[in-house]
Amino acid sequence: MSDFMLKVRSPLDGIELTYGDVAIREITDRDIVSIAIPLGGTETLSKAVISAYQTELPAVGRCAKSHVDNAHFLGMAPDQYFIVFDRSGSESTDKITSKLGKTGYFTDQSDSWVMMRIGGPKSRTALERICPIDLHPTVFPEESVTRTLMEHLSTIILSEGNDHYLLLSARSSAGSFLQVLQKSVENVL
Amino acid sequence: MSQINRISGGLIDRDKTLNFKFDGRVFEGHPGDTLASALLANGQRLVGRSFKYHRPRGIVTAGSEEPNALVQLRRGAHQEPNTRATETELFEGLEATSQNHRGSLKYDLMAVNDLLSPFLTAGFYYKTFMWPKGFWEKVYEPAIRASAGLGRLSGEPDPDTYDKGFLHCDILIIGGGAAGLSAALTAGRSGARVILAEENFRMGGRLIAETLELGGMSGTEWVTETLAELTAMTNLRFMPRTTVYGAFDHGIYGTLERMTDHLSSNEQKPRQVLWRIYSKRAILCAGATERLIAFGNNDRPGVMLAGATRAYVNRWAVTPGQRIAIFTNNNDGWRTATDLTEKGVEVTAVVDTRDGPARVTPSGASVVMGGRIIDTKGRHGIRSLTLSNGQTIPADCLAVSGGWNPNVHLTCHQGGRPVWRDDIAAFTPGDNLPVGMTVAGAANGSLGLAGALAEGGKAGNVATQDIGYSRSNYTAPKTEEEAVGISAFWYVKESRQRSWLDLQNDVTIKDVQLACQEGFSAVEHMKRYTTLGMATDQGKMANVPALAVLAECTNKSIPDTGTTVFRPPYSPVSIGAFAGRSRGNDFRPYRLTPSHDWAVEQSAVFVETGMWLRARWFPQPGETHWRQHVDREVLQTRKSVGVCDVTTLGKIDIQGRDAPAFLNSVYANAFGKLAVGKVRYGLMLREDGIAMDDGTTARLSEKRFVMTTTTANAVSVFRHLEFCRQCLWPGMDVHVISATEQFAQYSVAGPNSRRLLGRLVDPEFDISNEAFPFMACAEITVCGGTPARLFRISFSGELAYEIAVPTRYGDALIRVLIAAGEPFDVVPYGTEALSVMRIEKGHPAGGELNGQTTAHDLGMGRLLSKSTDYIGNTLRQRPGLNFEDRPTLMGFRPVDRSTNLTAGAHIIAKGKEATMENDEGWISSVASSPTLKYSIGLGFIKRGSRRLGDVIRVVNPLKGEDVEAEIVSPHFFDPDGERLRV
Amino acid sequence: MIIDHPLLGPRDVSEFVYLGDASLINRPDSQNENAAKHFYEYLYLRENPAGEHRELWYHEHGDRSWLVVTRDTLTHKITRVELARDTALAAGRNK
Repeated sequence: MSDFMLKVRSPLDGIELTYGDVAIREITDRDIVSIAIPLGGTETLSKAVISAYQTELPAVGRCAKSHVDNAHFLGMAPDQYFIVFDRSGSESTDKITSKLGKTGYFTDQSDSWVMMRIGGPKSRTALERICPIDLHPTVFPEESVTRTLMEHLSTIILSEGNDHYLLLSARSSAGSFLQVLQKSVENVL
Repeated sequence: MSQINRISGGLIDRDKTLNFKFDGRVFEGHPGDTLASALLANGQRLVGRSFKYHRPRGIVTAGSEEPNALVQLRRGAHQEPNTRATETELFEGLEATSQNHRGSLKYDLMAVNDLLSPFLTAGFYYKTFMWPKGFWEKVYEPAIRASAGLGRLSGEPDPDTYDKGFLHCDILIIGGGAAGLSAALTAGRSGARVILAEENFRMGGRLIAETLELGGMSGTEWVTETLAELTAMTNLRFMPRTTVYGAFDHGIYGTLERMTDHLSSNEQKPRQVLWRIYSKRAILCAGATERLIAFGNNDRPGVMLAGATRAYVNRWAVTPGQRIAIFTNNNDGWRTATDLTEKGVEVTAVVDTRDGPARVTPSGASVVMGGRIIDTKGRHGIRSLTLSNGQTIPADCLAVSGGWNPNVHLTCHQGGRPVWRDDIAAFTPGDNLPVGMTVAGAANGSLGLAGALAEGGKAGNVATQDIGYSRSNYTAPKTEEEAVGISAFWYVKESRQRSWLDLQNDVTIKDVQLACQEGFSAVEHMKRYTTLGMATDQGKMANVPALAVLAECTNKSIPDTGTTVFRPPYSPVSIGAFAGRSRGNDFRPYRLTPSHDWAVEQSAVFVETGMWLRARWFPQPGETHWRQHVDREVLQTRKSVGVCDVTTLGKIDIQGRDAPAFLNSVYANAFGKLAVGKVRYGLMLREDGIAMDDGTTARLSEKRFVMTTTTANAVSVFRHLEFCRQCLWPGMDVHVISATEQFAQYSVAGPNSRRLLGRLVDPEFDISNEAFPFMACAEITVCGGTPARLFRISFSGELAYEIAVPTRYGDALIRVLIAAGEPFDVVPYGTEALSVMRIEKGHPAGGELNGQTTAHDLGMGRLLSKSTDYIGNTLRQRPGLNFEDRPTLMGFRPVDRSTNLTAGAHIIAKGKEATMENDEGWISSVASSPTLKYSIGLGFIKRGSRRLGDVIRVVNPLKGEDVEAEIVSPHFFDPDGERLRV
Repeated sequence: MIIDHPLLGPRDVSEFVYLGDASLINRPDSQNENAAKHFYEYLYLRENPAGEHRELWYHEHGDRSWLVVTRDTLTHKITRVELARDTALAAGRNK
């Protein structure tokens, strides 16, 4: 047994903030693994996902949900998905390998992002100040996902419906991103 | 006396009184007033001084075209110059001061300029400030700077905040007058997403300024009823106080919303928001702007646009004067007479430039058909006017209508040119409109109310049907059709006095004529020569009459004379709004390393590298100079062990069956045969053969590599790899994803690094020199099962490792490394020590990989792969990159060891003059080496490797430095790398 | 400007990075005997049309696709947007 222990720290130490009816919360109990499709392997991967997760792989820009590990498949690029799922004891890529074998190239992204949820009636109004994407429910309905640029930061946004959004932004700039979100909410309250 | 000019009616709330100050005097007004209407209500005609001649000036308009009534609003750091009083909503405690006078507004000392006016005509600057030569910098420029501009900045940082944002809609309607409201009705009823932007604080446009009836209601009643329907629509966004200032590509509109400018205090909320509006279709309903007629002394306070006079009387219940005369070339002048008479205001005369019968005769008024006003009298405001027939008419206000210019500005922002229409004597939108834009109402040249209502309603329907919505029912309310009846009349030729065209920049008819005489007869030349239309109002009123004068001088028609180009912004936008929230610490985001919090606790000093904040050095008590921190960090690392956060290096995860082939193609040295569990240095070239980036790449498995890049090039290398993968070799099975943020990575360097790591690495992993030699890598666990990657690589030249853990453990790992290193007196080191050590070792970095150097220049020719087709291989062989004289990388040390080398200095042979001809190279990086105890440098010198031991001069003409230096190997320290392999 | 991404729909230009002429896809064969000349032409000789231009844009803050955008340099009108990978495959670049 080593004399030293490494304690876990999340990007924002699990911050939770409430402004009127808008809530901002860091999500710290989910893992992220990117899945790239081997050349010519779309069908193989697809079948493996259906069999292990009982869901179809989504199109680019869409999210598909599975009850297995509460997994969400995000269509990020023509040959790339992110799978976001409940964190457990095992290493994230090991977990995916155990489900999908060698049908895809897996890369752990769990520590690459700060994951935040913003929700409440004014959350879309607050995001108007930083997000160039049209978030109107007719254009960006529930389970839409995309990456865009917010205040110089590449950010992934997922609509969870009902004025709730999941935001993924680079971990190293998590503090700045939080400030950006806070200011946007403060400015519209 | 309070509000002597206030009359009955109007859209003001008389139950509430607002107190405000102008030039220190306290006045009263009501909610609904603008600063201009409240000043007029209180009989304040004189509101400012003109730019060049310091002439007394009053309020001319009731909108954003105002050239005269520009004030400094608010106090102290909040103060904003050149604010249009005509657009400023009155609020309790408002403070404004007049501009551009020395001494009081009434007795301006600079009014002497008016007497000098014969010398201040068009082209004055170009003619006067030419000689004597020496005068420009010492006399002229300071004098011009002192008198330039109207208002004054506070000189303090702006304490207000601003924001930006993005809005999306199907239909953007620009302008909330008759046409805009009608368009909003049809567009809104269709269910489309609509934004209705209106620059005024109250919707309605001319409908609330006139007494026209529609559908049996007053304009105001119709507006109220329409707004009731529109505000109930959830698909429509109302944006009053919002100026659409520019039309950009693909349906994007630049828009400024004034959020809190109308409040006494903004309570730290943004003053203004700069919106980027994305629209599928836009309907321009921007209305029209009235223009003056030029005649002698037509700039006196009290001379006002007729439409503005009606707006003040009808909307604001203020009469701009007690005895008002009217000068017109169209029927609007007569409507003004009727409105004034109905309000009980005395009309002293109606002077119509047209011949023919009088339309009405207000009681007691002189009516002069075919009349000309040649002059006005009155020192601080008009008292009387003189006609060409010799008649003198008393008046304290003169309402002038020279016709209306459709507001075509936004139709021209994408290169469109307006077209002239003789029947209304004005330019109207051309056919080359911005994509998706249509124009309705007065902006389209339909100056009557019926036309505006019909065109607006139709435009809303056409636009929504165009994008797939169904047609909505709409019947334009009935209204009396009024003819414009204009007969173009621009200026009174009989006037011997100066006649103003551009009130804000003090440009007269004579100035335009002079410009023409002196050869500046092209419209763009005339504009620059006279400065006409170059003030903050951009000549909204002045441009067309000036074109008419120019056309006459050149014997051309107005359309042949053409217009100057309309560019954004339509009206001025504060710089603060363009900056938005990007100020101070919010200017851009920071990226923090995993050890940041710990480094702050150690009182580290940070340096910005791109967006990253990196620890530069870690000061210790008793140290007074940064050199002491750096020297200690270097020496202790070389003596025992040091730790440095290297997380910022780019890390790219590369996977696929073709990953080895891909690396062979993007690196200039071979990677295909790199064994699993090994790391190799890689040099990447650009296609032109110049070095692009370098780093190490480790092979984690048959199909998986992890590449590192320099901190600076992490993004561009990733972009390049994606280009190669998608565009050049789409048949390869290879994928790249950034893992820079995924791992916290620390360099552990120094003779005791293995022993330090031995205390962390779990016992099943053998990191002995035999089991884990130089350039080995492995996926291991540390501290009882935490996954980690260990690389035996060295930038410092010492026995060294880089250890990476998932970033969630990064903060803990730096603390553990320091704790585990305690027995060895471990030292954290920053970027400066890192740099010193790499220079001592002769490793190239940013100064050497500067976009000009090749592998050969860097002394890495031996590295180049012989067999494969990699990026840059063909063009690196060009003669121009391979001639004998090319500067190559060498080391330099001063002959006199007490002197210092400077980065950027040039290399000159001894005994030669320091000129470009004698330039032999340059110094790219320097360090004060604590290991060697003297200054060392890396640099590039012609025929470098064959000149070992030569003495040259290192010359820095900027600082007058000239140091003799010896050419040595760039590997100053441990050239054989023995320390790496122990 | 707005680029109508073939997979994601209209997106603001600020999400993209510009590279240059789409002919950069057509990297010459280095084994060809005139490789030096071909590479020189490939890298340095460009049409500079006042009008329709096919050019490479990278959706850096989006899906990381390289796109071939057909744009009129006079009006900024964009008439076609394709995935550059498809263009490259169509040009026979799969080895």
